[in-house]
Amino acid sequence: MARAWTSVMADIHHVTHSWLFTMKLFMRSEFFILTAGVQPVIFATIAFFLFSIGGDAAGEQTLLFAALGTGMMGVWSTTLFGGGGAIAWQRWERTLELLVSAPRRYDLTLLGQTLATASFGFYSMVATLVWGVVLFGMPLSANFPLMLPLALLAAVLGMGVMAMLLATTFVLYRHANALSNLLEYPIWIATGMIVPLAVLPGWLGPISWVLVPTWGMAAIRDAAIGAEPPWLAIVMCLVLSVAYYLIARRMLVYVIDKARRDATLNLA
Amino acid sequence: MSSAAIPASSVPSHPGSLRANWRVFWYGGQLSYSALFNWARPSIYIPTLLGAPTFQILFFAALGSYATGMDPAFFAIGNSVQVCAMSGIYGMTMAVANERWFGTLPALMASPANRAALFGGRFIPFIVNGFLISTYGFALSWVLLGVRFDVATLGAMVLAMIATAFSCSAIGAVQGGLSLRLRDGLFGANLLVFLFLLLCGVNIPLEALPPWMQAISQVLPFTHGLAAVRAAIDGAPFSAVSGLIATEFLIGVVYAVAAFFLFRWMERGAYRNATLDVR
Repeated sequence: MARAWTSVMADIHHVTHSWLFTMKLFMRSEFFILTAGVQPVIFATIAFFLFSIGGDAAGEQTLLFAALGTGMMGVWSTTLFGGGGAIAWQRWERTLELLVSAPRRYDLTLLGQTLATASFGFYSMVATLVWGVVLFGMPLSANFPLMLPLALLAAVLGMGVMAMLLATTFVLYRHANALSNLLEYPIWIATGMIVPLAVLPGWLGPISWVLVPTWGMAAIRDAAIGAEPPWLAIVMCLVLSVAYYLIARRMLVYVIDKARRDATLNLA
Repeated sequence: MSSAAIPASSVPSHPGSLRANWRVFWYGGQLSYSALFNWARPSIYIPTLLGAPTFQILFFAALGSYATGMDPAFFAIGNSVQVCAMSGIYGMTMAVANERWFGTLPALMASPANRAALFGGRFIPFIVNGFLISTYGFALSWVLLGVRFDVATLGAMVLAMIATAFSCSAIGAVQGGLSLRLRDGLFGANLLVFLFLLLCGVNIPLEALPPWMQAISQVLPFTHGLAAVRAAIDGAPFSAVSGLIATEFLIGVVYAVAAFFLFRWMERGAYRNATLDVR
């Protein structure tokens, strides 16, 4: 029992260190500062102007709706580019062989890294909220303030695990960055981040249900401006996180095995 | 994209001759596109330069019409023109800055090739490419978003699109010149692309912007070209939009000249400080 506990603590320690190291790397990356800090503020400004032209298209709390939506768009961009390129970057930086052959589990190293991409992405949400309050006089309030930290935590976990899934699938495609470029806008549309799914074609609904950003966005938005507590969205985030993790781990085993068999582990 | 085939000449031309300059301009431009533009191969070109614009147009059409209640065609037209920035800004940045990253800058600088021809030739592929991407955007908008064209003013619209692709490539060249010194050249390129979405009337009518933003928009590419495209689609004759097209073209010339002198200044500074190949 004590041995199992020590092992779990060692795994948590491992994930935490990987998370912290990647966070430090991102803080020095101009690209991620742009993606998580500058881009969401520009998109938030566009959204604020558009909603101000249209009046109260999204109800009384239109500005908060827009700020949360554009913030989550930034979270997705960071997750997409950070997660999609995670293994590819390790290849380019020549650290993949070392990480895979280390005695520690590689899936936990990768989980720490991808959780960091999602965590770093949440700077976007802070940036758009501060931007809205300071420049557009947006009132900041939450209908369910106690649910908000829980919703954020579920969203970070969900996006982090989704980033891991992206990392393990994109690596099969040689030009992972092209896939990242392609998938930024479609997920913004399909998960109803800033345009509610109700006004989009009905066939997008079932697609959005299996995408964790849909539930992450719903959890945060409902905690802030919803009428009901976001229990369903939080539970869906957790369920999808477990499903994504299992798929990502299986993919990782396949990818690493294939790379070892073909001797292509470090071929960028 | 296949690499450009440079015909061998039986008569060697003098480096300063008109013929040599033409070859540097024409074939050098094509070669720089094939060799330096990271996104030229179909496996990247299709998702990045056709796929991403598709969803950008759909996203802003959905957001704009939901938030403002305006016709999605307004946003479709704005974004169909703006997507040429994918080629103009990113492409020109790569066409200049990748010389350093790929290690070919010292050889280029040591060559006796005419600098204006060398620099100017790089514009052509990206203007053509930008125009094609915008044309694709308009085709998509016609099929899915109800954008309709007036055949009588199609010529004016095409001319406005070409002028916009040129001015966009010109500011991309300025960014490329700056990237010769910067650690991450694509930071500025990304920033420019996002600012065009905000400031140039792509998604927000100019009159809805604060005066200081409107003032900035007047010296940026897209603003006048896009206004000309919108007017032509609404049926304005060439005489009514020629001023806007000329202004867009002039803005492009100013940025192109600035980019050329920036390139020369960087070149001299690199010689002086022995930083030609410093990454």
